[in-house]
Amino acid sequence: MSDNVDNIIEIERVSKRFGRVVALDDVSLTVKRGEVVVIIGPSGSGKSTLLRCINHLESVDSGRIVVDGIPLTEAKNIDKVRAEVGMVFQSFNLFPHLTALENITLAQRVVRKRSQKEAEEIAHQLLAKVGIPEKANAYPGQLSGGQQQRVAIARALAMQPKIMLFDEPTSALDPEMIKEVLDVMLDLAREGMTMVVVSHEMGFVKAAAKRIFFMCDGRIIEETTPDSLSLAACKEERTRQFLSKILI
Amino acid sequence: MTPDEIRIKRITITATEEVKPLWERIDRWWLLFFAVLLITSLLILYRPDPYGRIFVFLQDGIRVTMSITVVSFLLILLVGLIGGLGRIAKNPLIKGIASIYVEIIRGIPLLVQLLFIYYASPILLRDFGTKLIGLWPSMANRLINIKLNPFGAAVAGLTICYGAYMSEIFRAGIESIPKGQMEAARSLGMSYFQAMRYVILPQAVRVILPPVGNEFVALLKDSSLVSVVAVADMTRRGREFMASTFLALETWMMVALLYLVMTLFLSRIVAYLERKTSFVR
Repeated sequence: MSDNVDNIIEIERVSKRFGRVVALDDVSLTVKRGEVVVIIGPSGSGKSTLLRCINHLESVDSGRIVVDGIPLTEAKNIDKVRAEVGMVFQSFNLFPHLTALENITLAQRVVRKRSQKEAEEIAHQLLAKVGIPEKANAYPGQLSGGQQQRVAIARALAMQPKIMLFDEPTSALDPEMIKEVLDVMLDLAREGMTMVVVSHEMGFVKAAAKRIFFMCDGRIIEETTPDSLSLAACKEERTRQFLSKILI
Repeated sequence: MTPDEIRIKRITITATEEVKPLWERIDRWWLLFFAVLLITSLLILYRPDPYGRIFVFLQDGIRVTMSITVVSFLLILLVGLIGGLGRIAKNPLIKGIASIYVEIIRGIPLLVQLLFIYYASPILLRDFGTKLIGLWPSMANRLINIKLNPFGAAVAGLTICYGAYMSEIFRAGIESIPKGQMEAARSLGMSYFQAMRYVILPQAVRVILPPVGNEFVALLKDSSLVSVVAVADMTRRGREFMASTFLALETWMMVALLYLVMTLFLSRIVAYLERKTSFVR
């Protein structure tokens, strides 16, 4: 399985418990290069935990995760993998003591060892790409939620990751700001970025997703595609129940 | 209006509200400081006998008190940082050592710690030296002939004691930063220490600045305890002056005023820094 170079993420039989709660129960999933995969499911189903396991923000109890050919087992590999995997959080997690520009240049200088000048050039390009070139010197506290999340995406992209993980990137945003973030994500998808997205934004799912996984109680109970994402096409009763609430 | 415009408007409104008249913007506690400074100066200038004499006699002591406070404080910050990081370490051994240090030291009065270091620890070192004589003669001899420098012993005592409290302040400050900050830094590929240095500590410093400043003021006052271990600080000089002149009221009045001038000044500086480094989250 791991010989297949097309697979950039391989998750094999992963389980994870928090105390007595089973967060992930024997989950297997592979993602191909350039693929956009969306994970949906009710809260507490393990979507975020699965995403956080991919860059080892959570460790797994059993099973194996290989990212771009690097097994996530030893401590040495973890920083290597993290530099290849960008992550965008629900709560943005920008560094509030740094400006937007400094947020984007910090890891470039510290981890990628780029010069201040080079890092700033890249940061300005990325701020333009996410549509807020004029906010370079603003602090996160002076930005709207949508702008903050776009800076966070730029910050992750500055590391030139091969994979981008999105953990409910629009759940903390006002409806008006959701679109500006989704547009940036759609652009990324079109450019061929490998993306794993936890989101219930059906507009984005239909426009960008290649495959959709439905999670429930720590398991992937159904896999589907945007075309067949309808109540009638889903096999599992639980999936239909959930979809009936989010599909209008 | 777009949400951005609403936001900008909100910022502008708060900005205009914050412009207050000059007399309201000045920290009025400065007045107390200047009043005490004035009383002290007037006493020294217009009642040179005995206040001027006391002041001249205390001058060396003031210098000792200041340098012991500053030197100890720099070391305390270092111990506090290491101790604070130790308290939140995942490694159980490091965490255990840091926790035992904090718990034990906080349970012993500073005065007893100072007496222990100055009078008891040389005996311990000498005993240890005698046992070591066969194994490592040069080191053994050094330990047997050890003579503690009072200044060094005082700094060590204050550092060990205050370092424990400072560790707790650093721990609380680091823990007050949301977990997502560390996660975001690590997810960008930074190591634990890089994340601490560039992301967590710069934010924690703003949180811990007020308690750290208070510790500095408290340290200045507690440094008077070092007078029991033969350090000629301001308090000890006061005792010496009183012993030779029997002017108890005047001597201790002067000593108290001088401590007050220093602590009131420092409190204002701390308050100023606090306001200056606060930021919008």
